[in-house]
Amino acid sequence: MGTRHDARNCISRSKRILGGEIIADDVKTDGPSDTSHLYDGKTVRSSAPSRKKAAGRLKSSTDIPKDAIPEVHVPSWIESFFGGPIVSSMKFLPANRTVTNLQVSSAGCLVLLTALTLLFTPVSGTAWFAIANLIGMPIIGGVIHILIMIIGAIGGAYGIFQRDQRALLVSYVAMLLVTLRFAGSKVEFGFDLLPEQEILQKVLLIAYAVFLVMYFELTNGIIRFSMLDTSIRTGEVYVMGEGKIIRQYYRAIGITPVVAGIVALLTLLINLIIPAMVGIFDSVQADRLRESVELTSVYGVALGTAMVFTVIAAAFAVNLPLRLQQMQEGRANK
Amino acid sequence: MAWSRKSAMFAALAVAMYLLGLVLRNQQLVTVAVVLLSFLTYAAFRTTHADVASSGRRLDDADADSGVALQSIVAMRKLSSARVFEDGEIDVILRIQNRSTLSKVLEVRDRVPEVMRIKKGANYVLMELGGRKETEISYTIEAPLRGFYTIGPVCVRVQDAFGLFHNEREIQLYDDFLVFPKMEDIKDALIKSRVPKIFTGAVNIRNPGEGTNFYNLREYIPGDPMKKVNWKAWARSGKMMVNEFERDAVSDIILIIDSRSVSETGPVSRNSLVYSTRAAASLAQYFLSRRDSVGLVTYGDEIVSVDRDTGKKQLYVILTKLAGAMAKGNTPLKVVTNRILPHINRGSPIIILSPLEDDPTVIDAVRDLRARNFDVTILSPSSLEFEFDARRLDRTGYEVLKTERDILISELRGLGANVMDWEPDMMLVTALAGARGF
Repeated sequence: MGTRHDARNCISRSKRILGGEIIADDVKTDGPSDTSHLYDGKTVRSSAPSRKKAAGRLKSSTDIPKDAIPEVHVPSWIESFFGGPIVSSMKFLPANRTVTNLQVSSAGCLVLLTALTLLFTPVSGTAWFAIANLIGMPIIGGVIHILIMIIGAIGGAYGIFQRDQRALLVSYVAMLLVTLRFAGSKVEFGFDLLPEQEILQKVLLIAYAVFLVMYFELTNGIIRFSMLDTSIRTGEVYVMGEGKIIRQYYRAIGITPVVAGIVALLTLLINLIIPAMVGIFDSVQADRLRESVELTSVYGVALGTAMVFTVIAAAFAVNLPLRLQQMQEGRANK
Repeated sequence: MAWSRKSAMFAALAVAMYLLGLVLRNQQLVTVAVVLLSFLTYAAFRTTHADVASSGRRLDDADADSGVALQSIVAMRKLSSARVFEDGEIDVILRIQNRSTLSKVLEVRDRVPEVMRIKKGANYVLMELGGRKETEISYTIEAPLRGFYTIGPVCVRVQDAFGLFHNEREIQLYDDFLVFPKMEDIKDALIKSRVPKIFTGAVNIRNPGEGTNFYNLREYIPGDPMKKVNWKAWARSGKMMVNEFERDAVSDIILIIDSRSVSETGPVSRNSLVYSTRAAASLAQYFLSRRDSVGLVTYGDEIVSVDRDTGKKQLYVILTKLAGAMAKGNTPLKVVTNRILPHINRGSPIIILSPLEDDPTVIDAVRDLRARNFDVTILSPSSLEFEFDARRLDRTGYEVLKTERDILISELRGLGANVMDWEPDMMLVTALAGARGF
């Protein structure tokens, strides 16, 4: 009788299942959830013995099948914004030769960049300098300025050798932050040891900019090649002709900054190029242009940028890269 | 040409620095921005330079034509087999040709279905392919789940050395293959028909007749051949007794698979439909190997049937249908039985593979079948176990639902059907033996 009563209770509980879905909180259970008693006195022929055993001894440690719960990665707001994680959470295997070479190059680049930053970015014109002056302690502005540079350098060094993208990101921000200052259109130096000649000044400025960009690229290369190496070693990707691919990267690392530097030099020297061109036709106008404040200031650089990039845009517009390729292929076919 | 996130961030940074430089009259910022822009422009220039016009076709047709002159990258694929069983392996060979005279650094990814596992090699290759050269990529995939699958397309990507820009093309090269449900070896399913067919076969049925297996003893009737007289039994009983033998005959076996949407409850590789299809494949193979005639009915959103037939060809027809069984719809069992009953020989064994859930017509349908003297066996993979193992069901809910299920199974047993509550870890042979009461 008792067994039947228990079974009836259980059935009445099952009535509380709404639309096939169980509302677990609605079902109250008294005492332990051992339900083996439900089967007492019942004759079960085939599968019941094992079920009885299972029902009576089910433990919370039942293993979950591997595919039972799909891995769902909920992106953070920053990941949603950028379309993926800014900082990869991939664990890298020990650095191979390429990565080590890149680390050494990046470290060298960082040292030079720090030195050039120190030379090119005086504290004057920065926000912290203004605030320090406001509170009557200008020394604090200088300390903050140096501190930002140190953070950039140390963060960068740590990021390079530990392959830590967060540290690298901090270093990038610090290196850019330190350059944010109000300046008077002309190149200024933090130290008086530097040349007075305009062209030399601009070459140094371009060297600084190139090292900054190279620093971004090389450190990014460390992470990229570490990921690639890890993927190769874990069998996720197979690389054929790895040496050639790496050589191509090294070649690009050598050529691209030079090209970028030349384009930037053309842009920055526009105040000399335009008067020189005009001078062919009219020397007086050329002299006027040479003395023009607009051309020598940052707005002259803007004009130079517009002109240089108009030429580049035209090259893209006529699909010059593809034509060059076709020409190369045609030559090879002959 | 597509931008990477890195190039987009570089560009945004360059523009921001450029504008800020103009506002703050800071030549340093403007210079950095110009260098950054020049860097990007040069990389873009180099990437556009890399043309990835491409074409693809099956490796078997490789010599069929020489391709179009503009197509510089050509892919061809060959599969070791187009039909495998679950957990089987397929070797894939992908040949990539660079028809251009220029060397290219390519990223090649051969797209394989998500459920497949790469067992050997890699379907993602980074390579430097010289001008007018070709290379072969080979890898092995493991097919863990039944179904119709397609490998392809082949994605070819050329990007600049810094990973700033890339050109990507999909080579529309597809190869189809079929994964049959895996089969378990059934020693003796103990399912026999009571109704003979006109052809004699290897399967004896539970009726006396001309066969080889002993069936029973009976008293002599004038006309019985003397060779059938059991002399020992005569001596023992004092009555003239003759041996009767089981009749050898071919029987019709009908497999009914429940492929309603409810049958896919549970994890992808452990659900009622997966178990049902594997069991059906095993049973079909077993009965067909014994020269029985096997028919298949699957029901979900529609009723699909394979007419009864014998032989190996029939096995592959059934396996193909099982491979393509999709969990859809909610057709009741009663509708299925009503439709198929006129076409089945009375007394044929019917094996129903169903989770027995969400179908109020099950009892009526089985009652109908039993009333017409069909030998009904129900193998019911319990989706409750799958759900509970996957922790999608709490214990109380599990117990309640299990009790309901037990009551239903008891009712079906009461109607004379052989019912087996098939738990996930139980082998098919054990489940069948349990269903038949052995």
